[in-house]
Amino acid sequence: MVMIRFDNVTKIYDNITALRNVSFTIEKGEFVYITGPSGAGKTTLLKLIYLAEKPDNGEISIVNFDYDILKEEKAIPVVRRNIGVIFQDFKLLNNYTVYDNIAIALRIRGFKESEIKESVYEALKLVNLAHKSKSYPSTLSGGEMQRITIARSIVGEPTILLADEPTGNLDADNAAGIMRIFKEIHSKGTTVLFATHNRDLFRNTGMRVLRLDSGNLVSDDKG
Amino acid sequence: MGYSLKIAIKNLWHDKWINLLSVLTIATGLFILGFIIPLIFNIEKVTKAVPEKFTISIFLKNNITNLELKKLINNIKNRDIIKSIKYISKEKAFEDLKNSLKDSAYILEGIDENPLFPCIKIKLRREGFDKQKVETLIKELINIENIEDVIYGKKLLGTIYDLYKGVRIISGLIILLFCVAVIFVCYSTVKILFYRKKEEIEIYKLLGATKWFIRSPFIFEGSLLGLLGGILASVGVIGIFKFIKGFSDPLIPSLKFIVIPVELFFILPMAGLLLGIIGSTVAIGRIRY
Repeated sequence: MVMIRFDNVTKIYDNITALRNVSFTIEKGEFVYITGPSGAGKTTLLKLIYLAEKPDNGEISIVNFDYDILKEEKAIPVVRRNIGVIFQDFKLLNNYTVYDNIAIALRIRGFKESEIKESVYEALKLVNLAHKSKSYPSTLSGGEMQRITIARSIVGEPTILLADEPTGNLDADNAAGIMRIFKEIHSKGTTVLFATHNRDLFRNTGMRVLRLDSGNLVSDDKG
Repeated sequence: MGYSLKIAIKNLWHDKWINLLSVLTIATGLFILGFIIPLIFNIEKVTKAVPEKFTISIFLKNNITNLELKKLINNIKNRDIIKSIKYISKEKAFEDLKNSLKDSAYILEGIDENPLFPCIKIKLRREGFDKQKVETLIKELINIENIEDVIYGKKLLGTIYDLYKGVRIISGLIILLFCVAVIFVCYSTVKILFYRKKEEIEIYKLLGATKWFIRSPFIFEGSLLGLLGGILASVGVIGIFKFIKGFSDPLIPSLKFIVIPVELFFILPMAGLLLGIIGSTVAIGRIRY
């Protein structure tokens, strides 16, 4: 089953082409690395998937939503509830506790508080931060904040997980820990798109790697 | 819904002093409205009593026959606006005049012939009574055969209705002004909060929140501000009315007739709630993804 399809997608920002005629498909359950140097178009590609941007040319389809549906504004929250996103800058709510930061993803989906509690602690256990549920983001380290973001993105059991440089600001130990969490999530059948400029993360993994350079998809092969 | 309400209460509590100020401002606006509404209510009550006091006297021609009189009474009676009709013969009218003069009956000495006209007195119905209808009726009556003249309290009717209309317009404008003021207070309070939470809202959007999920805490907050202001205002208004009535009766007996509409207990909080919803809805504006 095709989860993501890009068909000749172009995105231009103020005369700068962020993506140029990019085409690919991603099947259900795949783990795909998106790589390339800074400014290659990795974040733009992810933004197009979670509908934070619209393509200037070409068509995108995500899960069961074809392009005509995705063009409508009302499709945006529905699609986003099917996608978990790990942002480069975490995007945590600073005046909310760790628990509430994760629970919000389920409250948005209309879950009951009793169901939320169970799911939040399960997600926190997966990222080894159950003991920090009452802490505020400002008291956490970069690695912890990243793990909270991961917990928030997976708590709603999305079909697709997008990660934008999730290990970018972390030391090697923390990065390895994060990678282990991703592997565990992927093993449950979630389709994962992992944007990184760090080649060490996908070297010899045998996973699919989409390589971008100056907005062009320059290769699509195994790592 | 429960979560949105919880967040709204949390936000209200977080900025409790600023919000208290907003509630007091709203309460002041609604408090003034709380005096204007009973004013209209009481004026309306007075004007509604006008038809019962109001009499139209139709003077008939002296030579009217009994048959013509019967026909005329039937003609007048068949109008919706008329409640009752009373015929007074010229003899009865003269008798009544004599009785009313009592000790000054000498005024009528030397008058050999009854100078008065037979007359029909008309009382009007309360329902559907207005100046326009009365004037139309008078115009119709004047043109009927065998009617000499029609007399009614034209000036009184005009004054009461002009006063009523004037008070209604001015009160309407004041109500509008204060409603806009209350909306503005809710609007600005919610708008400030909305701007402060801009980053949070952006995160909600990215996580797939619906527009209602984003809006609802702000709308609840505006509604609660309005509702609290309304409750405070209604307590204030009723208290002041009770105070005025309780202490001023012996001095100004007319205050006894002031009626406090009990609906105020309901109207002001509901008005506050509604204006709060309007203010906060306008403050949030259109949410775009």
